[in-house]
Amino acid sequence: MAMTARQRAKVSLYVQAGIFAVAVAALILATDWKTVSTNVFNFAKIGPMFPDIILVGLKNTLIYTALGFIVGLSGGLLLALMKLSSFPLYRWIATGYIEFFRGIPALLVFIAFGYGVPLAFGVSWDVTVVVMISLGMVASAYIAETLRAGLQAVPKGQMEAARSLGMPRWRAMVSIVIPQAFRIVLPPLTNEVILLTKDSSLIYVLGLTAAQYELTKFGRDGISSLGAGLTPLLVAGAFYLVITIPLSLLARKFESRSARTKR
Amino acid sequence: MNDVVIHSRNHTGPAHAAGVSITELRKSYGSNEVLKGISLDVKPGEVVCLVGPSGSGKSTLLRCVNLLEQPNEGTIHVGGFEATDLDVDIDKMRRKVGMVFQQFNLFPHLSALQNCTIAQTKVLKRPQAEAESVARANLDRVGLGHLADRFPDQLSGGPQQRVAIARALSMDPELMLFDEPTSALDPETVGDVLSVMRNLAKEGMTMLVVTHEMAFAREVADRVVFMDGGVVVEEGVAERVIGAPTQARTKEFLRRVLDPTHIEISE
Repeated sequence: MAMTARQRAKVSLYVQAGIFAVAVAALILATDWKTVSTNVFNFAKIGPMFPDIILVGLKNTLIYTALGFIVGLSGGLLLALMKLSSFPLYRWIATGYIEFFRGIPALLVFIAFGYGVPLAFGVSWDVTVVVMISLGMVASAYIAETLRAGLQAVPKGQMEAARSLGMPRWRAMVSIVIPQAFRIVLPPLTNEVILLTKDSSLIYVLGLTAAQYELTKFGRDGISSLGAGLTPLLVAGAFYLVITIPLSLLARKFESRSARTKR
Repeated sequence: MNDVVIHSRNHTGPAHAAGVSITELRKSYGSNEVLKGISLDVKPGEVVCLVGPSGSGKSTLLRCVNLLEQPNEGTIHVGGFEATDLDVDIDKMRRKVGMVFQQFNLFPHLSALQNCTIAQTKVLKRPQAEAESVARANLDRVGLGHLADRFPDQLSGGPQQRVAIARALSMDPELMLFDEPTSALDPETVGDVLSVMRNLAKEGMTMLVVTHEMAFAREVADRVVFMDGGVVVEEGVAERVIGAPTQARTKEFLRRVLDPTHIEISE
């Protein structure tokens, strides 16, 4: 059978759409809708989640993420500068740190700073402090690599121009190189924030008081208290999207802006 | 140690123009020696053009003067500073030495005006208002006062290079270094940049210029230095070196530069 390339593409598209439709139909038929409607899509019973899922859960998720990001950004910048340092010891420390914290599950870091470290030093840390440190330390490792790439992407001539105007190295970094690096890494940095938003849920491994609940913990709590099965988790998940989708759009906007102009 | 001569016969320039004195300068990258013992004096207010084929070491020499490259041997005196002294306050010295790059190297996140103010406020600690008025004066000087609020990516090459010159001038330098300032420009914007440089020379600024613009060198430079293979081959009054070179290598280079379409037919 002789077909042009365009015809073949068209047929292939129909076949793909057909396979997809069959798969969806099979899933719908295989689903136990009675159970699902009471255990997953039982929206009639979730009323009591409001308004606290917003006033407490969403609010705490945002606070935890912001704290983690602030620590992560500062730590990440420090590590990135260490990694670019001409002093080998700094490079080794930074590399070791980054490899370690990128290589272990964030959950272990939360447990370490939630239980291990306070136990070892006989201190008791507030949940906020644990989130700030745990999330911040993990974020530092990822952000460091992002920032290092950004710093290296700033042309060498920028440093030379700044130095030849009499700026000391640190001043050239602060006023000329770092601001440009941040513009370059704005899109990947926004993606870091999305990852952090989700990782902030790991604080559930600690005992939280009701006022400290973030979205995931709030949802899990709803499972046991509302009798709507897993529906509260679905609601919590929807609120994550409320945070992450705008961030995603923001990242895309930054990307198209930096594609249009280097400024 | 040659102290810098304060008087220049040719110029009635500002008394604060600095001279440069380079002796036996050597610079290597690994086993590749780029500068093989260069000696060169630039008097205060003098304009010296460095010409020569690419790879002759002229840009490296220029970059050694403000220590963007660290020389291996020899001495450089700039104004009251010995650049090659390991204890020299590099930043203090560089304030007196303006540098203009082939690729402009404007700060893309700052407007033309901010490009001209940032080092004034951060390095010279001038108040913002004073820095801005100095910057505007210098942007006017290069004919771009009306574009002070533009960002570099909103300017084409020639204007960008003029902003870069204004940026350097805003620090009140006593010496200006130009590293092939017109080589990256569209032909039609070269003239404006050269005329800014010509005015600067008239005002008595000490200038060390790496360039391929022979007409400019001939007209503006007090002296032309021809370099090849890391050594000074020939130097002298611009008119003489370009108009009547004595060295074979200089003649050959000038013939190629001045008449690039010339085809040699050997018999």
